[in-house]
Parts: sequence; C-alpha cells; structure tokens
Amino acid sequence: MSDLVKEIGADQFEQEVLRAAQPTVLDFFSTECPPCEALAPKYEAVAEQFAGKVRFLKIFRQASRDLAGKLGVSSSPTLIFFKDGREVGARMTGDDIKRSALKAQVEALV
Amino acid sequence: MSDRYDLAVVGAGPAGLTAAIYAARARMKVIVLDEGIPGGQVKTTHKVSNYPGFPEDVKGSDLAKAFALQAERFGASIRRAVEITRHDLAGPLKTFVLDDEETVEAKAVIVATGAKPRELGLPGEAEFKGRGISYCATCDGAYFDGKDIHVIGGGNSAVEESLFLTQFARTVTIVHQFDEFQAEPASVHEARENPKIRTLLSHEPRAFVGNGSLQVLDVEELKTKERKRLATDGVFVFVGMQPRTAILEPYLKLARGGYVETGEGMETPVPGIFVAGDVRVKRFRQITTAVADGTIAALSAQRYVKDWKAA
Repeated sequence: MSDLVKEIGADQFEQEVLRAAQPTVLDFFSTECPPCEALAPKYEAVAEQFAGKVRFLKIFRQASRDLAGKLGVSSSPTLIFFKDGREVGARMTGDDIKRSALKAQVEALV
Repeated sequence: MSDRYDLAVVGAGPAGLTAAIYAARARMKVIVLDEGIPGGQVKTTHKVSNYPGFPEDVKGSDLAKAFALQAERFGASIRRAVEITRHDLAGPLKTFVLDDEETVEAKAVIVATGAKPRELGLPGEAEFKGRGISYCATCDGAYFDGKDIHVIGGGNSAVEESLFLTQFARTVTIVHQFDEFQAEPASVHEARENPKIRTLLSHEPRAFVGNGSLQVLDVEELKTKERKRLATDGVFVFVGMQPRTAILEPYLKLARGGYVETGEGMETPVPGIFVAGDVRVKRFRQITTAVADGTIAALSAQRYVKDWKAA
C-alpha cells in the first residue's frame, strides 16, 4: 500500500473529506471485488500525478455501511469527488474506470 | 526505446490467457495487456460448474488466477491495469502506447477483449448506476443484506447470480421478458426451489425511479401492456454482453452486433491481427469456447510470426 492513498474510517469522513482544505477523491472499496483490485493501481498512479494538489482516500465499505447508505453508495468501487465540503462532478463506478478518464476528472477538480 | 515482442495479446480473459500459455510454451516472447486484473468475465463469476477438470465447483476468481499463473509460469508477461492510449495495428509491426508513456511493439496481435455487461439503456439507468443499479453480483451483493432486490434477465448469468444473491438479500425477484428462462435447466430448477427467489415472467423494465437512490422499478407486463411500479432496494442487470471492439474499429469492418468475423484460424483480413473469444462472431460464448479460440489463435500466430518480415 502506498502512502499516496490513505485509508480512512467512517468516523473520519467529516474531518478528512468535508473539512479538507484540498479537493479530495474518496474510493469506496470492498473485498472479493475484482474491479476494486483492478482500480487500485490506476488510483495510485493518478494519486502520484496529483500529489500535493488533490488528496486520494479510500474507505472500506463493509466497515462503513451507514456512511455508504447515507451517501447512496451501492456499488464497489465507487469514486466520489469532493471540493470545499461538497460533492462535485459525476461519480465513477464499476469495472470500466479508465485511468485516463479518472485523470481527466481529477484535473477538473484543481 | 520500445520493447519488441513476438506476440501481444490484448485482454487477459480465458481466450487471451490461453493464447499466452500456448504462445509462451512455443518460446514466443509474449506480452498480455489488460485494463484491469486478469480473468475477464470469469473473475466476477461466483462459481463455475462446467469447466472440465474441476469435479467440484470452482470460484471464478480462483480459475482466473490459475489461468494467469499458468501463463506467467511459461514466461508470458502480464501487464495489469494498463490502458492502450494509442495503437497502430495496420502494418507488419504492431505498436501500442501504454498510458501515454511507454511503447510496446509486436509482430502479431491477438485481440481477446471480450465483452462487457450490456446496459438496458432505460431512463434513470445512468443516474442510479452505483446508487441501486449494479452489473456485478460478487462485487455488490453484500450491499443488499436483508433487502428486497430485483434481477433483470433470464439467461445463465441472471439465474445463477440470483442464486448467489440469495446469500444476502431477503428476496430476489427475477424479471424476465419471456415466458420461460433461457438458462440451463439445472440452474432454473435450483432457482424455482429456492424460497427467496420469485419470478416475474413476461415483464420488461421500462424505467428506474428514485430520489438520490433507486426506489422504484417501473415494469410493463408485456401481454396486457399494464405498467407496474415495483418498490425495490436494488436492481442487478444481466441482459447479455456487448463486445469490446474499440481497438479494432480503425482496421476492420465489424459484423452485426459489433462482433468480429474471423477465419477458421482466428485470422482477420489484416495480416498479423488475430481475434479470439467472446469478441468473435460465433454461436456459443462459453469459457470452454473462449479457451479453444485462444488455442487456435496462438497456433496461427506462431506460424505467422515464423514467416514474419518487417516490410
């Protein structure tokens, strides 16, 4: 696991995501989820490209059911983009998240 | 500087990995490129019961890993989570640019990009994807613990994944357009015996409705044309697959449905481009038929590369 992607718990959501000074991407992941495994290296690669400008977090869905429910997340992986405490842009889900598409969406955040 | 291979395989599903096994064993220098992790559709299939050699059911993800390990044991290089951002497959030397930063060359290519789940194309589908609509039971089943969900479709995937979803959901209602299921009789029988599974035949979905999250599945009873609004906690869609052919479109004319026509040796009209697996025009798409295509494509590519000339 790289230092570029930090794992948080649901109790840190407000502090780490909503009150974050920088734009933040949050990845809801699950175990037994091949698309999550497939996303991980792409997520890290994009995190490296935007190091210092955008924060990349991940959260384990099975341990964060209530938060997932509150955010209406029902699929893994789901990427949600936040800026200034608000969700912005379209969510990305499923097994077809391309590195180039993720990069483009992160670019729009900064 | 770019690396040159005898064979590039695009797509690490059963067809591509079998091609890699055969080609690598023939001492070809082989690279396999995949946008995700190896396994193709098999890796998200919860169990496989009809692949020979496994007297007990095998988990799709385990079978996928075994295919990849076998290819790597013979020296094939499998590149995971790479995107082909540019390519030129027209000439004798095929080139691929990976993630805009690395170039790979190969004397021949086997395109085994398979297919992805078909979407229904209904109102609300894009809005509620990931907010109640899913295309992968192994990935998302656990989100619906104790819930009442619907499955759209009536083929093998729909019925078998419904059975899997009963581990989590309180009820699973299969909505299917025809009078009977197209799935294998053994699975249909198992589904009919399962107390959590209900069926709604001769019904077709028309729209997805909700407020933030999916709440209602709007269906039409095809015989009476009556529309019904079904309360739902989630919908899994298994209505067939759509071939992934973007990489071939500049070079080949696609057949009906977007599939690729090949000769008996998996060759295409473009010298050095071979095609294997679900992306081909064929009658049956199974793991076993994908594996057969991969074998044939690798043997054909081996002959082609033997006589290969740069220009």
